[in-house]
Amino acid sequence: MDRNRRGDLPLRAVEFDILLSLAAGERHGYGIIQDIQSRGMTPVPDVGTMYRALARMAESGFIEAAARRRAPDAGDERRNYYRITAEGLRVAKVAARRLEAITHAARLGGLLPRAAK
Amino acid sequence: MTGDRLLNVSDRWFRLLLRLYPMDFRDEMGDSVVEAYRDRAREARARRGVIGVAGVWVHALVDTLRNGPGERARPAVSWRRTGNWARDAEFATRRLRRSPAMVAAVVGTLTVGLGMFAVVYTVVQKVLIQPLPYTNPDDLYFVWRDYGPIFELKRGWLAGTDIAELQKAGGVIEEAVGLGRQLATFAVREGADPSEISVISTSPALFELLGVSPALGRSFAPTEVGPGRPEVIVLTHELWTRLGADPNILGQDVRLNGQPFSVLGVMPRDFTFVRHASLGPPQPADAFITFPVNLAETSPNGGSYGALIRAPPGTSPPVVASAVDAVGRIVDARDFDSRGLKLYPVGLKPDLVSDVRPALLVLGSAGVFLLLVLMVNLASVLLARAAQREHEVAVSRALGADGAAVARATLFEGGLLGLLGGAAGAVVAIWGTRALVALAPLNLPRREAIAVDWGIGAAVAGIGVLLGLLAAIAPATWAARTSLATLLASSAVRGGGGHGRMRSGMVIAQVALSLVLLTTGGLIVRSFDRLLRADPGFRPEGVLSIRVPIPAQFHPDIEDARAVQERIEQALAAIPGVTGVSGVNSLPLTASANQTTIGIEGAPGNTGNPEQDRPLVDWIVARAGYPEVMGMRLLEGRTFDAARREGVQEALIDDHLARQFFPAGSPLGAKIPFAEGSLTVVGVVAQARLYDIHEDGRPQLYVRAEDTAFRNLFYVMRSSRPPESLIPEARAAIRAIDPRLAAVDATTLDQIVGDAVRQQRLSAVLIAGFALGALVLAAMGLFGVISGSVTRRRHEFAVRLALGADHGRVLRLVVGDGARLVAAGLLIGAPGVYLAGHLLRSVLVGVSPLDPSTLTAVALGLGVVAMTACYVPARRVLRLEPAESLRQE
Repeated sequence: MDRNRRGDLPLRAVEFDILLSLAAGERHGYGIIQDIQSRGMTPVPDVGTMYRALARMAESGFIEAAARRRAPDAGDERRNYYRITAEGLRVAKVAARRLEAITHAARLGGLLPRAAK
Repeated sequence: MTGDRLLNVSDRWFRLLLRLYPMDFRDEMGDSVVEAYRDRAREARARRGVIGVAGVWVHALVDTLRNGPGERARPAVSWRRTGNWARDAEFATRRLRRSPAMVAAVVGTLTVGLGMFAVVYTVVQKVLIQPLPYTNPDDLYFVWRDYGPIFELKRGWLAGTDIAELQKAGGVIEEAVGLGRQLATFAVREGADPSEISVISTSPALFELLGVSPALGRSFAPTEVGPGRPEVIVLTHELWTRLGADPNILGQDVRLNGQPFSVLGVMPRDFTFVRHASLGPPQPADAFITFPVNLAETSPNGGSYGALIRAPPGTSPPVVASAVDAVGRIVDARDFDSRGLKLYPVGLKPDLVSDVRPALLVLGSAGVFLLLVLMVNLASVLLARAAQREHEVAVSRALGADGAAVARATLFEGGLLGLLGGAAGAVVAIWGTRALVALAPLNLPRREAIAVDWGIGAAVAGIGVLLGLLAAIAPATWAARTSLATLLASSAVRGGGGHGRMRSGMVIAQVALSLVLLTTGGLIVRSFDRLLRADPGFRPEGVLSIRVPIPAQFHPDIEDARAVQERIEQALAAIPGVTGVSGVNSLPLTASANQTTIGIEGAPGNTGNPEQDRPLVDWIVARAGYPEVMGMRLLEGRTFDAARREGVQEALIDDHLARQFFPAGSPLGAKIPFAEGSLTVVGVVAQARLYDIHEDGRPQLYVRAEDTAFRNLFYVMRSSRPPESLIPEARAAIRAIDPRLAAVDATTLDQIVGDAVRQQRLSAVLIAGFALGALVLAAMGLFGVISGSVTRRRHEFAVRLALGADHGRVLRLVVGDGARLVAAGLLIGAPGVYLAGHLLRSVLVGVSPLDPSTLTAVALGLGVVAMTACYVPARRVLRLEPAESLRQE
């Protein structure tokens, strides 16, 4: 639906983190949190924060529910999995490119150490 | 505790926490959230045991407390919870966009209607409702004297001694000030161009009593009053601006009637003050000075002081009234031999608006009626739109669609149209209000404050939304009930859906409301017509008046002043085209004369009752030729000759006095004791009405100007030229005589008559507009219903025609349906007419609120318009070809 076309709005941090996790493949909720944790991002989103974001992003069409299936990393219980949509991927890429540009600018501006080539 | 049991307890805790989230979120995400917590709890148990799990619990609590209420507050969620409003709104907007003509028509109608309503609402709000710009204005009261037992004057001025007594009273009369007023010739400095300003002389406490302080400088000190007081003046912001807004004006001398006054302060921009008058319009103030006298030492039988008092916050009016009454009894006993003269307070606001209140209430009620008509009109439009989708709705509902969605779409349409109309109406009202204020009576209270502000704009837009939503309720409920079964049932008999009956009901309501508005309009217009035709007792056309005060400071000797008056009159008479000039101290229709009681000893009409035999009269000071120049009617005797007779003070009386004192004989030569001397009646005239244009006022007594010391005369000139064109020459002639004199208030008598009927003219125009608008809307509604019914019943009519009915008969059938609706509307509207008449009673002049000819004319007119609105669409049945029509089915 057209009112969900907000792909060019900046993503919230938690939304970008989720898209980043799902870009690598389908995950269930706690799996996403673990993935974000493993990337060393702080703060790691709370469960409530993340599911609210998931609900919103599903509504916006950035992600969608995948099949419910057994999760080997959760005691083999069944879990709801999510996957990124093409729109979600596009939005995540836009956001990533922006971050890249910002990082580049930050290096030029001396806010970050220049990358060793 | 086994590990699994611990996790099960955990789950229960997490499920409990979930309740903080809104239901739809729980439905959608609840299980996943619990699972995620469980995963986290399992991991924590593996790492740190029970302590770790407890940590997850606490963490989950904090998390839920933060996110649960947050999710509840998300607007999109609350929308989703009651159905998909966002989507409904989107669909409704899209559908509206597809029919721009309908939207334009509806929004246009609403804009005009709500715009008119907004104008009236603005005036009513600003004049009747908004508090005056003083501290606790509800605790301020004007005090008046009721001369009841002595003569017919219910709202008389007070004497200075009365005010001194009010000041002494204490108790709930916290403070009392006297208010005098003079028109003074004003100049910034000696020799500067003179102008005339209105000066209020008052007690020093006036500004403290009002609770307003000067923006520049200070107000009067308590001691700056009485004989020998410093000559200090406080200017209004408006006068100060007119003088060039000099910030260094404090301490400078300005001239009042040639006398230097030192500027003490300048009031703030939004401060205005008017002295309410015993008779006539409130008097505005340009500047303030204190009394040069001690009020307690003035004469208890003279003086024209207004009195303003303040009560402690929240004192109830009856308490104030009894305190004032107590003071009234003291002065009645002391100064009037306890003849029963009373003092009474009137709240500042009620006192100010009492004259316009009835008219504004009528206008406001008419505005509300107009809103009702608009609402019914919008309702029938929305119903028609919902009916167009009858099939679509019925089918989609049969397929399991949400019935409420249709209702929501209709409600949204109504609300959106109402909002657009309301917002546009508020914008239109900005100009409308300006136009209205320009047309409004000059003495309309708070005229300067009347303008649309943000609050009013928002209120009108809100009223638009409310009106739209209310209008949508009936169509929405109808649409929500539509089902395939009822649709099929109704199309089987071709009677149309149930909305047909609902639309008929709306037409009946429209006719009824229009009837009430049209009668109101008709009566007001008729009353206005009566006013215009009224004979005010003089011929205003071709007469110019101009006032020239001659302050004593410029010509201390009254003989000198009279000589100047004589020269002014001669100079004005020499202007080409002027056929007659005279002078007077108060013009007709301005309620500005002085009053006194007179008696004629030995007159045959005397009854022996001293109070009845000394009537209160308006006494008017006039120069020779005044009745002739004004075109008044001389009933007996003669008017004042140019030449005076030595030792005789001549007087003219009006027919009322002549009838009272000399019911049979002639009053000529009768002697009237007056001031120190005695007047001789030389003629009888018909009143040149001083107050209302349509009825005589108090009895009138005309005295020769030369026998009095009046320095402030209006000069009236009758001329064959357009009177306005005389103004420059008249001013030049007066300047040539004495450049220090201000020539002010140049106006034609036609203008004065126009001003006297301004309020009625305005009411007539507005209400006639409301009524015609309602009539058009009712006709449109009727047209729509008949036209729809012809379309819907085409099949039925074709069958009738095929079975042998002729076209005329079918036409009569359709028109008859319309006539029944109109008749029902007229019947239902009749009690409304009666009630409206009740409200109108106080504003009608010379017309009964149930005036049969007006009522008949309105009912006939409405009937003719309504039947035309039926007949035009009904004629379509004449072109109906039964064969073709039936084949289409």
